[in-house]
Amino acid sequence: MLRATLKGMAARKARLALTSIAIVLGSAFIAAALVLTASIQTTVDDLNGESYAGADVLVRPLEPETRGDRLVREGVTGETLAAIEAAEGVGEVTTTVSWMVNAIGDNGKIVGGLSPTIATNWGDESTDRELREGRAPETDGEVAVSAKFAADSGYTVGDTVTAYSESVQNTEYAIVGVYGYPGGRDSIGGTTELAFTTPEAQRLVFGGEDAYSMVAVDAAEGVSTSELLASLESVVGAESEALTWEAYNAEVNAETAEATGLIGKFLLGFGLVAVFVSVFLIANTFSIVIAGRLKEIAMMRAIGAGRGQVIRSVLAEALLLGTVAGVIGTAVGIAGGGVLTSVVANMILDAGQSSLTVPPTAVLTALAVGIGVTVLSALVPAVRASKIPPVEAMREAVKADKPITALTVTGGTVTAAGVGALALGLSESLGGDTADLTAAAVGAGLVFVGLTLLTAWLSKPLVNALGLLWAWSFAGRLGRRNAGRNPRRTAVTAAALMIGVTLVTATATLLTSVKASISHYFEDNVKAELFVSGPITAAVAPTFDPALMDEIRAVDGVESAVELYYDPSDINGTEQRVYATSDLEAGIALYGGAFLEGETTELADDEIAVNATAAETLGVGLGDTVTATFSRGDAPHEFTIAAILEDNESTDGWYLATAHTDEFYTTRPTSALVDVADDAEIEAVADDVDAILADEPAVSVQNHEEYAAQTTVLYDFAILAIQLLLGLAMIVAVIGVVNTLILSVLERTRELGMLRAIGLTRGQTTRMVTVESVTIALFGAVLGIGTGLGLGWALQVALADTGVDVFAVPVGLVFGYLAAAVLVGLLAAIAPAVRASKVNILSAISYE
Amino acid sequence: MPLSTPHAPQSLERTQTRAAVTAAGLWRAYGTGEAQVVALRDVSVSFASGQFTAIMGPSGSGKSTLMHCLAGLDTTDRGSVHIGGTVITGLNDKALTKLRRDKIGFIFQQFNLLPTLTAEENILLPASIAGAKADPAWISQIIRTLDLQERLSHKPTELSGGQQQRVACARALASRPEVVFADEPTGNLDTRSSGEVLRFLRKSVDDFGQTIVMVTHDPSAAAYADRVVFLADGQIVRDLDRPTADAVIDTMRGFENRVPLAGEAA
Repeated sequence: MLRATLKGMAARKARLALTSIAIVLGSAFIAAALVLTASIQTTVDDLNGESYAGADVLVRPLEPETRGDRLVREGVTGETLAAIEAAEGVGEVTTTVSWMVNAIGDNGKIVGGLSPTIATNWGDESTDRELREGRAPETDGEVAVSAKFAADSGYTVGDTVTAYSESVQNTEYAIVGVYGYPGGRDSIGGTTELAFTTPEAQRLVFGGEDAYSMVAVDAAEGVSTSELLASLESVVGAESEALTWEAYNAEVNAETAEATGLIGKFLLGFGLVAVFVSVFLIANTFSIVIAGRLKEIAMMRAIGAGRGQVIRSVLAEALLLGTVAGVIGTAVGIAGGGVLTSVVANMILDAGQSSLTVPPTAVLTALAVGIGVTVLSALVPAVRASKIPPVEAMREAVKADKPITALTVTGGTVTAAGVGALALGLSESLGGDTADLTAAAVGAGLVFVGLTLLTAWLSKPLVNALGLLWAWSFAGRLGRRNAGRNPRRTAVTAAALMIGVTLVTATATLLTSVKASISHYFEDNVKAELFVSGPITAAVAPTFDPALMDEIRAVDGVESAVELYYDPSDINGTEQRVYATSDLEAGIALYGGAFLEGETTELADDEIAVNATAAETLGVGLGDTVTATFSRGDAPHEFTIAAILEDNESTDGWYLATAHTDEFYTTRPTSALVDVADDAEIEAVADDVDAILADEPAVSVQNHEEYAAQTTVLYDFAILAIQLLLGLAMIVAVIGVVNTLILSVLERTRELGMLRAIGLTRGQTTRMVTVESVTIALFGAVLGIGTGLGLGWALQVALADTGVDVFAVPVGLVFGYLAAAVLVGLLAAIAPAVRASKVNILSAISYE
Repeated sequence: MPLSTPHAPQSLERTQTRAAVTAAGLWRAYGTGEAQVVALRDVSVSFASGQFTAIMGPSGSGKSTLMHCLAGLDTTDRGSVHIGGTVITGLNDKALTKLRRDKIGFIFQQFNLLPTLTAEENILLPASIAGAKADPAWISQIIRTLDLQERLSHKPTELSGGQQQRVACARALASRPEVVFADEPTGNLDTRSSGEVLRFLRKSVDDFGQTIVMVTHDPSAAAYADRVVFLADGQIVRDLDRPTADAVIDTMRGFENRVPLAGEAA
């Protein structure tokens, strides 16, 4: 029986090759994901190993836990440094002062965009630096810049660069040197860097305090690391900690492992989708192969092959195919993972070199998935093959398709159960109970599976309706009928595309709804027409000079303007969002908020306002006293709650007068709201305000639309990323459609011969097959879009509580998916259509 | 052509009437070298318009090849074929396809109806392919003659073999072709259904002046024809007018005796 299997496989090379592409893709993605994760981890570990290399023990400040950790820097103090230098067993001591700053490039924009610029002190030991041009900074007004900074900013030695941090406003520095890193690298991990003198770095990072981000200590001759550690632990005090370089390195590696793990999971997700889609494809291929071998199998049964032998022969074929494709996929995946690693290492991490790490789990998982999925997918067709009665060998007539009743009933039941669970989850989730979101999620999953099972049943009416698009042409009408001819096969083929389209449509719908909800919120609630603010992704919070507010208020057409300061403060021992404004009433009004209790026009310096939820969380009410410590403040202050505000996304938090803003992490306002008079031209006012802000590159003026777009820019990235998923699903879908069509063309050879004999032209034959292909692909896309929109809607309803209260359809994308489906159909039709049009009429019509 | 005018059998006058299909000096060989099989050796034959001709001969005699060459389905090595006034030898695929569509009707042994179409749609298929409108009066006349009125909306799977072949006959005649080629039209039918189909073919010649060329190995089917052309070893060996089943059987028996001789000669 094995020999027969092998011979049979050899005779079906083309179809098996096509099917194996799907398996290869799935295995390759999984292998690549695992290899990439491991290799990037090794590469990053190598990079991390360079940091403070050579130091034995590091001393660093303990971060106060209740503060936002990127906002306020506390350093190892000068006294602690003196104590360290005086401690027993201490050899050489070097200090590092380092944190994020913003620098303005020669285009007037902040350098670096999303990745931060690091300010550091020249000569620290965090890494080795190699001067390429000029010299090291010697005075406080000088700076040396990393090669990547020079490239990104357009500056070089002799130019002047403006930088600012949360504690230092715009300051100009003369660039005296450009440096790189060992191995000829321009950056470490892609960051841009500015090296100042130690006092200037301390001014930028610690507001001028004599403090250090890190103190690296070498052991003196004959002193072991553990002895040094013990010695230092006794002198560093309560606000700093000492740890060995090894411990520090392990900590940093663990942190980066989390990030690389995320990338790996993302890729793995893609792999799993590919594998899931492949299941349909492989099962379909085996069904097709078996359908083509009906007589052969029946004949084998007639001459005495047992049912087990039939199953085994099909499974042996699957095993062989899965093994070959799995091995190829694993190899391709490892190679791909290596290429991706070097791309990531060079383009993003700027690591100079990358290491390829192939964990055994990557090989084993990818192989197991390739083989396992293939064999499991072939199981159902194999069992079905074993049920072919021997008399089939003698039968001549074309058999009617197997009824799809069982499939339809199962699919209908599952879908109904899913809809039920979804309805239950959604109706109760309006009450805000998170447990019901689980019911909704399970329901959504069930609906998805149920609809996939129902595709066969849906195919008849939908394919008929879609086919009407081509009803004007006779070849089109024939193609439409052919597409509806074998609902089971059409359904499985379309399901492969449907799954991918469902996933991307559901995600895109949800993200579009989130975006629409945010925009809608602005339209409905926010009274201010213009916003002054900077990008939320900026490394250093964008701020501007509060003195400009008077100029803005003086602009013709400005009704009122309010500035807002922000600080993540400690209130009653918890971290809270605190805003300060000189005009609370106007601020609340412009944001569309409202007072619930204790309306007040102006807050006294010791009064505070809070929104209802935050007050409830801390268990305080009107008239109560709270204790607040600000980011840069040492002493706590007491405030009396003077007003409770209605919950409102934009105004949630605590509100103060501006008396304490010098203790805020940034002492300047981060945003402003401008109310434009009804009769004034918004654009003209925006231009005037923009002119006032000309010297504040961090912030800009935006109208509603621009502001909403800025807050939703991350969703745009997410939407873009999931489109890649569709691309992958499309490749697999093309293979599936090709497979199905080639089979159909083979099965209908006689029919094609007859049609050609009685006068169907080659062109008409090609069009007929193409229409069938495009119709099947469109069917899959329409199902996917419908299911995706439904699931997206369910997600939106489930999340309505969290502010996603508008349902929005990504119309452009939906049309894009339809266009993609047409493309899939056209591509898939090429080979089968050519084959059909070249059918040899004579051999097609001549009997036996 | 006055199709609705009844014609008398014209076998005796065939040399005087216009030829619907003419083959002159046809050669056709398959394969090369040792394995070469010559299917047609210098065959010249003419089929008169409005006549029913059967082509007979043992397996491998070249009768199917002859029909395929006459119908523009197969190419010839030498010689020429005319259909109506057109020389079809050497036409490209496009022209041949158009010729088959407009001038030729086919009836196959396996019926070869499109399972996705109803009986009526199958009958109208050639017109649909051409993008033309069939003559409704003519179509309904054929349908009445074949007694298919009740079956028009049925799919082929819902029809008996005889009914399917009657639909195929209607399809072949629907576009009023110059000639209908029937390839073993009764090969898959029982005696009763065979009789129905053959009587229809006879009637379409007598009543509508249709030209029919039929390949068959069944002497009783051949007896419905005006003329029987016998092939053996790729050559026409006998041409029988107004055949009876017995005459055909006798002729066939004649060949069976000849076959070993022919085998030796080859």
